[in-house]
Amino acid sequence: MNWLTIATALASENILLLGIVVLLLVEIVVSRPRGATTLALFFVAAAACAAVLLYATGYVAHPFPGEFSTDPESSLAKSVVLALALPVLLLSRDDFGNNVPYHVLLLSSLYGACLLLSADSFLTVFLGLELLSLPVYVLVLMAHGHARTRSLEAALKYLVLGGTATATFLLAVALLYGGSGSLSLSSFTAAMVVPDPMAIAALILLMIAFFIKAAVVPFHAWAPDAYEGASVPVTAFMATIVKAAILLAVLRIVGAAPLSGTLVDAFAILPLASIVWGNLAAMRQTSFRRMIAYSSIAHAGFLYYALLGDGPGRYQAVLFYVVVYGLMNLLAFAGLPRGSDDASRDRLDRLAGLFHRDRFGALMIGIAMLSLAGIPPLPGFIAKFLVFKNVMAAGYTTYAVLGLVGSYLGIYFYLRVIQLMFMSPGEAAAGARQDRGAAVVTSLVCLIPVLLLAVFPGWVIGRV
Amino acid sequence: MADATWLNVMLLLPVAGVALLLALPSLKEDAIRAVALVVTLAQFVIGGALYLRFDAATVGLQFATHIAWIPAWGVQYAIGLDGYNVLLVLLTVFLGPLVVAGAFSAIRKDLKFFYCMVLLLQFAMLGAFVAQDLFLFYLFWETMMIPMFLIIGIWGGERRIYATFKFVLYTAFGSILMLAAIIYLVYMLQSPSGELSFAFADLTRARLPRPVQLTLLSAFALSFAIKMPMVPLHTWLPQAHVEAPTAGSVILAGVLLKMGSYGFMKLGFPLFPDATRQLTPLFMSLAVVSIIYGACLALVQNDIKKIIAYSSISHLGYVMLGLISLDIIGIQGAVIQMVSHGLTAGGLFLMVGMIYERCHTRELAAYGGLARALPIYSVFFMVLTLASIGLPTTSGFTGEFLVLLGTATTGWRQYQDGAVFPLLMSAAAVAGVVLSALYMLRFAKSFLFGPEKLPHAPVMDLVWREKLILGAIVAAVFALGLFPDGPMRKSELAAQEFRALILVPRMPR
Repeated sequence: MNWLTIATALASENILLLGIVVLLLVEIVVSRPRGATTLALFFVAAAACAAVLLYATGYVAHPFPGEFSTDPESSLAKSVVLALALPVLLLSRDDFGNNVPYHVLLLSSLYGACLLLSADSFLTVFLGLELLSLPVYVLVLMAHGHARTRSLEAALKYLVLGGTATATFLLAVALLYGGSGSLSLSSFTAAMVVPDPMAIAALILLMIAFFIKAAVVPFHAWAPDAYEGASVPVTAFMATIVKAAILLAVLRIVGAAPLSGTLVDAFAILPLASIVWGNLAAMRQTSFRRMIAYSSIAHAGFLYYALLGDGPGRYQAVLFYVVVYGLMNLLAFAGLPRGSDDASRDRLDRLAGLFHRDRFGALMIGIAMLSLAGIPPLPGFIAKFLVFKNVMAAGYTTYAVLGLVGSYLGIYFYLRVIQLMFMSPGEAAAGARQDRGAAVVTSLVCLIPVLLLAVFPGWVIGRV
Repeated sequence: MADATWLNVMLLLPVAGVALLLALPSLKEDAIRAVALVVTLAQFVIGGALYLRFDAATVGLQFATHIAWIPAWGVQYAIGLDGYNVLLVLLTVFLGPLVVAGAFSAIRKDLKFFYCMVLLLQFAMLGAFVAQDLFLFYLFWETMMIPMFLIIGIWGGERRIYATFKFVLYTAFGSILMLAAIIYLVYMLQSPSGELSFAFADLTRARLPRPVQLTLLSAFALSFAIKMPMVPLHTWLPQAHVEAPTAGSVILAGVLLKMGSYGFMKLGFPLFPDATRQLTPLFMSLAVVSIIYGACLALVQNDIKKIIAYSSISHLGYVMLGLISLDIIGIQGAVIQMVSHGLTAGGLFLMVGMIYERCHTRELAAYGGLARALPIYSVFFMVLTLASIGLPTTSGFTGEFLVLLGTATTGWRQYQDGAVFPLLMSAAAVAGVVLSALYMLRFAKSFLFGPEKLPHAPVMDLVWREKLILGAIVAAVFALGLFPDGPMRKSELAAQEFRALILVPRMPR
């Protein structure tokens, strides 16, 4: 075993680990620690830089052969996830700025995501998946303000369903192992082609596990409660980082393997139901986070749709989608007005007339909503176009048309948020202006890449 | 600078204007108005110069720019002027400053944001006209929706939220199916050659099997027919017009509705010629139904904005009829009719806005005898009314007459071949002319003449700013009515190309 290879190939993971240790030490040594966010930001940024560097140099290594490997694809996926975590951390500065355990949990979850994205065998996938999810159960519990009971319920629901997903996953892996005698991901892609009943059962169970994790209809019911019960930064974390990591992991597992007939239908119908139901249910929500939860259910549908496309196109479509979708959600959360407590901050009708109280915030949420709705020229459209272009190119015209019509259903509720902010009379301006420094920085961090993607999409699309 | 650069400058000026406006403090209202006016005027100057330099004898694109934008998909930033769009671009940049100036007194709330939206709309509309790449076209096409959504929704009347959602949900539904059709089309055409391209020129060169053409044409046509709007997809229009602020109505009637007919002319019909020929009777009937039905509805309205809104449906029916006649005269008439309707309906909406600012009601019955109380206003109003009816020497006459002439020519030719239907349709369309005289004169009669009724009297007649705006429109109406030769020549080659693309069978690839 070469220690140098381990140090380099696991650069991002190591930096995150170092961050966790440093944060724990700070918690132990300093009596009233301050600036935990800054520390965490530093380590996550360093980890992201390391991942980008590995990607740029085209570094390939197998520090733990058959279990863990670093290649440009995984490095790019990691850099995306880690970079998306930066605005999340900026968002949490107001609520959790000095809360060390919060940051330790966040970093652990990111560590899990990195592990997941480099996995070569189901053992590592399992480790990564659990490490990604377990801290989030606790994070949901750490509600800011007075919503303790509700977040308790949310966390419990999330935990129970997450546990179910884990069990399903393990059963799938056991079946797969029984069939092929191997835990490697490549044996899985081989099993996808062979019509062996055991392999098919494993495949279906695995799919269900990942559908639960990504909240695809009919395995979605936990998401609205969990999103609503958690505090805003944690919701943002779940909606962007966790979802991105899960989808990128699915991509890594499925790879470029072709989907056979029945699998295609399974991979199309449930996500389609997700798109339609997510968009329909979102229309009647009165809480911003519940609405975002349903919107994320619909977007999970779009992301799984991308798998219908041909092998090489999948990676591009999912990656682009994840970046755009993540940035848009974060932008929306950054624009949310601050409230006395989380529950009041969350009500949709509190957004009424926001444009007259806080122009910047209203514009940011507006841009985010338009992009999530997939309205050009914002990058949400390019992301959606990329997905449907691949689906159509692979010959699934009917599914593509149905998916597009499903996405039409979403336009109403995204625009309703804009209507509330811009066209409805709101309550009078609330006293003194709040300090919005962190929110403004977060929005800019999200907005600038969004604008660049809108004007120069070709620059990104040509490369990946 | 080369002419192509100027076209780009004209297109991108509003974006620079928005950036400038955002940098200005909201309280400097005069500066905001000035910036918006200067930007749109500069666009008009550039657009006018480009129009004059546009060579009528050259086939195809002029002042073209081609830059690879998303190379992996073969998407280009391709813009240029041709006989199809040159008049509509001129119309757009002509109406721009008038809309901005017309809103000087009407818009008091969130001035800065309003002008940002008007400029963005201007950008998107021009972009949709000059785009020569399907992807780019779709981007601009969809972008138009958002500023309009906000303009109606923020500065509109009482039921603005309902109206604006109806507008958006209608147009977005058409667009989403068009998007599916675009992706399918591009991939269908890619398979033989292996090269992905969204360029109009590449797309029209190819030919698909007829069933595919029919499906795709229906998707495109749905989107265009909603925008245009054609009966029975028109129900969003009256509400949107009534609730929109004046500027919104003017842009909507003046330019946005032309997007639909332009889409048919530039994309829908030429891309799917076989399907178009097969569906000609359908489109012809829908056009005639729009003409008659729109006119009948206009006849019974009591809201003055609704009268003009329904008359728009009727007038755009003529555009469709001219296009689908597939006769050079008819096609050119359709183009002239588009511009003419932009001028007259735009002008009438401006005038309605002016009277609404003074009297705060749109109820037709509340008014009467304006000719005595507001003589200058009444003169302008009468001129635009007559132009809308299509009195000779005005632009309305040129457009409608050419359309009817073209339709009748085709109808007669087909009658000699044994088909009665087209001739019947062209005869029915003539009835629309009579109806339009009926509803517009009913409007003018109770509005301008009879016993004097004027809410909030005494009111002031037009101020110099309003006179200037209306003077410009009336001048353009007469220019197009008296000297239609120049504009017609600029679009002649395009009309021939359009006809050839649909009628001449091409070799399958």
